[in-house]
Amino acid sequence: MKKILAAVLALTMALGLTMTAAAEEGSKVTLDVIISQYGNFTQDWWLGEDGFEGAFEAANPDIDLNIEIVSWNDLYTVVNTRISTNQAPDILNIDTFADYVADDLLMPAEEYTSPALKAKILPSFWNANDMNGTVWALPILASARALFYNKDILEAAGAEVPTTWDGVLDACEKIKAYDENIVPWSLDISTDEGQAAFSYYSWNNGGGFVDADGNWALNSSANVEAVEFMKTLIDSGYCTADPYTETRYPQQDAFAAGSLAMMLGPCNLYDLAPDINFGVAPMPTNGENESVQMGVCDRLMAFRDDAAEDQDARTAAISKFFDAFYDANTYAEYMVFEGFLPVTTDSAEILAENAEQFQKGGDAGEGNSEYFATFCDMLASCNFYPASKPEWNDVKQGVINAEQQICQGADAQSTLDALQEEILELAEEMAMETEM
Amino acid sequence: MKKHAIRKKAEPYLWMMPSLILMAVMIAIPIVTVFQLSLSEISRAGVIKGYNDFKNFKMIFASPTFWHTLQNTLVWTVAVVGFSTLIGFVIAMVLNQEFVGRKIVRAIVVFPWATSLIIQSVIWKYIINADYGSLNVILSKLGIIKKYINWTPDANAYFAWECWIGIFVTFPFVTFCVLSGLQSIDSTFYEAADIDGAGFWQKLRMITLPLLKPSLTVSTVLNIIYVFNSFPIIWTITKGDPADRTHTLATYLYKLSFYNGKSGQAAAVSVVGFAILCVCASVYMILSLRAEKEDQL
Repeated sequence: MKKILAAVLALTMALGLTMTAAAEEGSKVTLDVIISQYGNFTQDWWLGEDGFEGAFEAANPDIDLNIEIVSWNDLYTVVNTRISTNQAPDILNIDTFADYVADDLLMPAEEYTSPALKAKILPSFWNANDMNGTVWALPILASARALFYNKDILEAAGAEVPTTWDGVLDACEKIKAYDENIVPWSLDISTDEGQAAFSYYSWNNGGGFVDADGNWALNSSANVEAVEFMKTLIDSGYCTADPYTETRYPQQDAFAAGSLAMMLGPCNLYDLAPDINFGVAPMPTNGENESVQMGVCDRLMAFRDDAAEDQDARTAAISKFFDAFYDANTYAEYMVFEGFLPVTTDSAEILAENAEQFQKGGDAGEGNSEYFATFCDMLASCNFYPASKPEWNDVKQGVINAEQQICQGADAQSTLDALQEEILELAEEMAMETEM
Repeated sequence: MKKHAIRKKAEPYLWMMPSLILMAVMIAIPIVTVFQLSLSEISRAGVIKGYNDFKNFKMIFASPTFWHTLQNTLVWTVAVVGFSTLIGFVIAMVLNQEFVGRKIVRAIVVFPWATSLIIQSVIWKYIINADYGSLNVILSKLGIIKKYINWTPDANAYFAWECWIGIFVTFPFVTFCVLSGLQSIDSTFYEAADIDGAGFWQKLRMITLPLLKPSLTVSTVLNIIYVFNSFPIIWTITKGDPADRTHTLATYLYKLSFYNGKSGQAAAVSVVGFAILCVCASVYMILSLRAEKEDQL
């Protein structure tokens, strides 16, 4: 009898506790946030009591943050699986957004962006997320790509820092003659990021993904020349021998180790190659075009949740999240931590003046104001991928495939013609679906 | 009494229930889901938009990449299973002989099979890299080559290397299957053959191979299934590049789904792969049932 009584008591207490917890939970808004892993220490900045999560929850006791850090390798798989099982996150950090807009999954950014936040986001980055007249995402960070060169190798080989494609071939020839085992130039046309190579060479030859009116122009003669130049680099034996499968990461390691003389790389290479004497220069162009640098921008976006009981409270919580994240000092600290460039004016100013007050991830030392001053300036003249066009993902994969085919011997003009035709057909199909 | 009889009858099924539930959850439900997805329109973001009149199948059958991938899958499976069976068989014959250090050699042989495929693939990728790969460095230090050689100049070269890595990681399994078969052969058969004056090849053909048939059948069938579905080697080395020329069905459907955002087409490729393996498994079942009947006769 006593046992039964004890069991009933225990059950009642457990039930009471659960109900209390449920009542407390009920008054809280929970936000599921997926953050991409930018480095080995991303989780240290975001998670735990000492991280953003702890500070935000302490300042906003009515909001429960559920932050998940996902590596870029798994990100698309995780997000697609979550969407297909109706478990889309509330806030997502990823590179593209057009596919989610096409399925009407996102909230317009104006719904949750406070006027103060909107005012400090660099206008070009705000507008880069415009699709059909609505802005659907906020830029989280940026990165600029430029020419990195090993000063010692170039000097020893008697080569000039190249400003043109002819200059590249000339410098490569001299470096090869100086030391057969040093790789002069790098090229990555792999599935991972082959579209970046297309950007470097086509933009610096007056071409690109789209024409002046924003229409797809993949088969322009400037683009044909650009891909043919990539083939010249491969055939000459001047660039890394495995451009089809080797991503830029081992190339960055090779540059940092001093076995690769020049590479078109991201700004954070600045920190990755501390042991070599290197310089940064604009990307070489073909002839008289002005040098165009490449900018990469990732995004934060908020998903709709029609099942949420209190939509206003949810939207308010999302706004608070963004206001807290883009706070001048918090955001500046995160940029130093990850080594990327800020997209808000106030943080950019802080970092250009005194980035040394913040620490890099993994106890890698303090920030470097010179780095931020150099690359934040460069950001203004950067070109970006046309990621707000709904066909972008197909273009990206198509361009990589075309580059690989051409560098393996296929005719450049007809391969790019076929790609252009395929993308125009797709665009037409997508437009018809939208009309229906 | 009657109750007891029912319980006795039901008991085996109750014991089987956990494995039946496990099979239903882990095997049947995913298969049905993949069939459903293969017939559905799925957006890039993963939203399922309903039946689409076999469009996914029509699209993949119209794609030259699919047919090239199918051809690659056939070459990959036949080459890897065939050569690993041959090499594994020969090594098993050697390891079945008495010699000093046999145990150590047997332990070493199992390494390629026991190590993770991803680790093996990454190591091989570093070995064959033209710029800093250890193969070039060793050959150059030995004075065999003066200039580094590009071991992977085109898609065929990449694919050949991938096949070799597949063989390298698969042959130990065959070796140990065959070795266990060889050790179960009664030595009196060979003694009798020796007395009759049989040579090495005659003994191999008339005694060893017929008695090894069950071991070889098991290793070959299992290898066909494993190798056909194998993903890590090709994905780690090339991701199906250059220009989708080194895919097998497993890597092709992964790329379609998670890089190209075409989950419906990926599911259709998966269904095709499933159908091919079903045919292989059926042939195996028919042959083994026929063999059982012959044994009974």
